[in-house]
Amino acid sequence: MAEARQFGDLATQLVLESRRSTATDTLLKYNDSLVRSIIREQRDLERAADPLVQQSLDAPEGTPPPPGLIIIQTAINRNKRCLLAYHSHRVERFRDMYWAVGGALPHILSNADIRSKLSPHEVDYLRQYHDSVMEYRADLGTNELDIMAGIERPIKDLNVLVKVVKDCGVIQTELGSIDFKKGQRFMVRRADIEHLIVQGYLEEIV
Amino acid sequence: MAPAGIQAGPFDLGASSAQGASPIQQLIRHWMNERHAPDILPIQEQLLASILDHIRRQSEAVQLIRSDPGASQEEHFRIVLVQTEIERIKFIVRSYLRTRLFKIEKYARYIVSNVDIQTRISASERTYASKQARILDNHFWVTVLQSLPEAQSHLDDTPIFMPPMVTEPDKSRAVFVHALKQCPPVILPDGSSLEMAKDHISLVPFSAVENLILREEVELV
Repeated sequence: MAEARQFGDLATQLVLESRRSTATDTLLKYNDSLVRSIIREQRDLERAADPLVQQSLDAPEGTPPPPGLIIIQTAINRNKRCLLAYHSHRVERFRDMYWAVGGALPHILSNADIRSKLSPHEVDYLRQYHDSVMEYRADLGTNELDIMAGIERPIKDLNVLVKVVKDCGVIQTELGSIDFKKGQRFMVRRADIEHLIVQGYLEEIV
Repeated sequence: MAPAGIQAGPFDLGASSAQGASPIQQLIRHWMNERHAPDILPIQEQLLASILDHIRRQSEAVQLIRSDPGASQEEHFRIVLVQTEIERIKFIVRSYLRTRLFKIEKYARYIVSNVDIQTRISASERTYASKQARILDNHFWVTVLQSLPEAQSHLDDTPIFMPPMVTEPDKSRAVFVHALKQCPPVILPDGSSLEMAKDHISLVPFSAVENLILREEVELV
């Protein structure tokens, strides 16, 4: 391969990151520098296109546009789609993450490892997303149904035996309030503490 | 027997409605249809409201009996069964609503511009869709579009040979349908027609059986 870089190479790298992220099921760090480079390439392409656009406007009607222009426009369109695809792929991962912890946003944002991989805009997005879900939940107007709880496995038993992995303070349960301290074991109503299992405070003993 | 009898619960499969299916059976069918359909199906607001109402009343009855010191061993045993059943039904309702939310997020931009689909979702789902569409647009704007040259900073490009920028439900996706009764013939994309007898199971594009699903003549499996 020659040293020279083609238009669109960077965008290919970017979508490749999305693919790797899916293939390994991990969230990769937001690639700010690559995104910026592609945006710079877009501006260069736009500048390169300008004289060609002018030229085709000046040409008598019916003349096909210069081939160079078509190539540049295709590159512009492709880069833009790749940029948007990269961001939208990440957003989808955030949504999965969000629901996987039962909508506990602080739980995600206080995780240093995850936090370091997010761009500031992505943190904003997650906050807005959380607001939107909370609004929907309030709209449902029912205390009976917690829309945030798990939907992976229907329950088999009402109660569950759990081990406390991390202190989580006093929690109101059907049996009264319980102070969960690390190392203790409890038999509790699943619905009362499901969110604590999801967030990793309690562990189910099977 | 305790005052608020929990014996003949709403979840009693014997209870039958006009279609001969209990509310729970109906819920399960709508839930499965929703899970399998690529498009968003009409929201079952009435059914959901009545089920949530039942759940609430059953929970109250359970609380009442629990706090009654005179309740017998047998009643406590029944309570556990009822509570478990309530939790399992809540699971289905939750999964049903979340499946819809998932699709609404995915097609948010399509929904806000499509009046037809808006009639199939509830008011809170509509609010949710427009908010989702707005925050995603905003996210694209601050991360990408605002830095691009003016001519490129829009979200409605229609370049040739490229899929549209607005994600739409893929109605040509294949689904398994199970005929609940003798169905009128449907036209398949290749022009041939398919007539399904009761209990017939077939793999067809969603668009071909869309109306049969709405008329509850078939279910997705």
